[in-house]
Amino acid sequence: MTEIELQNNEICVTGIEELDIMLGGGIPTGSTVLVVGSSGSGKTTLCMQYLINGAHRGERGVYFTITEPLFKFTKNMEGFNFYDKNLIESGMVNLIDLRIISERLGLNTEKYTVEDASALLDILRDIADELNVKRLIIDSITALCYRLQTPEMIRDFIFKLGSSLAAMKCTTLLTSEVPPRKFQYSQYGIEEFISDGILFLGDIERKGDLIRTFQIIKMRGAAHSRTKSAMSISTDNGVELTPLLKSRE
Amino acid sequence: MANVLINGLKERISNALSINQSIGILIPGNTYSDLTQAIFERFISKPEEAWVYVTVTKPYETLAKQYEFINECINVKFIDCISRVSGLSKPYNNVTFIESPTMLEKLSLEIMNNFKQVGECTKKFLVIDSLTNFIIYNDPEIITEFFYQIINRTRARDIHTISIAIEEKDIENYLNRLIYLHDKILKIKDSFI
Repeated sequence: MTEIELQNNEICVTGIEELDIMLGGGIPTGSTVLVVGSSGSGKTTLCMQYLINGAHRGERGVYFTITEPLFKFTKNMEGFNFYDKNLIESGMVNLIDLRIISERLGLNTEKYTVEDASALLDILRDIADELNVKRLIIDSITALCYRLQTPEMIRDFIFKLGSSLAAMKCTTLLTSEVPPRKFQYSQYGIEEFISDGILFLGDIERKGDLIRTFQIIKMRGAAHSRTKSAMSISTDNGVELTPLLKSRE
Repeated sequence: MANVLINGLKERISNALSINQSIGILIPGNTYSDLTQAIFERFISKPEEAWVYVTVTKPYETLAKQYEFINECINVKFIDCISRVSGLSKPYNNVTFIESPTMLEKLSLEIMNNFKQVGECTKKFLVIDSLTNFIIYNDPEIITEFFYQIINRTRARDIHTISIAIEEKDIENYLNRLIYLHDKILKIKDSFI
């Protein structure tokens, strides 16, 4: 293997052209990245596009959702040109509803005990191992933690999750929901500590209109851009980034 | 008289484009329709060229009613920044609608995306109609920044840019600042070109 091939192997190309440029090629393989944003900021679309682009490169992926039923999720995604049903059918992209897994495990889907959370983590790891996935999404870490009853349980779960993800050799995106217009990375203030990278999806107001923004806050192991970009989401091209015009009124 | 003016405009634009990457056209309001007609007639006469026409002045629907032939031009794509804020929502195949003229980054992406579909060897042209109307919806500083970005991007991709500025006393200074970023400036007078 040449040095360049070796280097490329260590980078997980997102397939979103401008994002890869901003990351200096892609996300360092094996990283756990927090995708932070308020409701409607584009977290799910960005994650799904990352997963689909990976599948096109031969990298199997799994999407664990706990926020919405799969039929609703796929219905939303079908509107995007990047969405490829064949990849789902062929098993290159796997969509899994964690609430259904919880039910099958006989867990209370609304509130988890320490044991429940631990069992769920094991299942999550087993699925990732069995499918030999290279890309993993948990949408969302906030909703998952919401089901834990005390801050101590949340802290414990997040650190266990961090260790589990580090042991897996896949590149993981965890979505994190935050209130709109607040520059915070997580709901519980711990999620960012198990993350190697943080991608922040926000917005700015211009003459009353909202412009989507995107910023890489951190990415360990990558000489990444720190500038704020404008983000567009369209059915034709999915997520696209372009330099944000900085002049303000 | 109108035909003389339109033909004169066509000739001047054509000559300017043959030797310049970007041209700025400063016109009085009453010549605006003649200028758009001259540009639209160029679409038809040069089907081998690829054009992207950004309108902030008139909704596409109005332009299409005025110049029916533009519906048939397959070498031009319109980006309409004004219909949605005017409450018009009729879709057209050859038009991309931008929600608001304030969404400049989105506009910039759509301009470049439209040109991505065009072959390397095809001559490419971008029309911005108009700088004056952009300034109505945005602060002049952000339009200057946007315009610098567009001029740099289009230059890098060998795209010719034509920007229209309709004379307006109140924003004369801003218009002049923008118009002078072009390689060539055409000033159209009321009486003759």
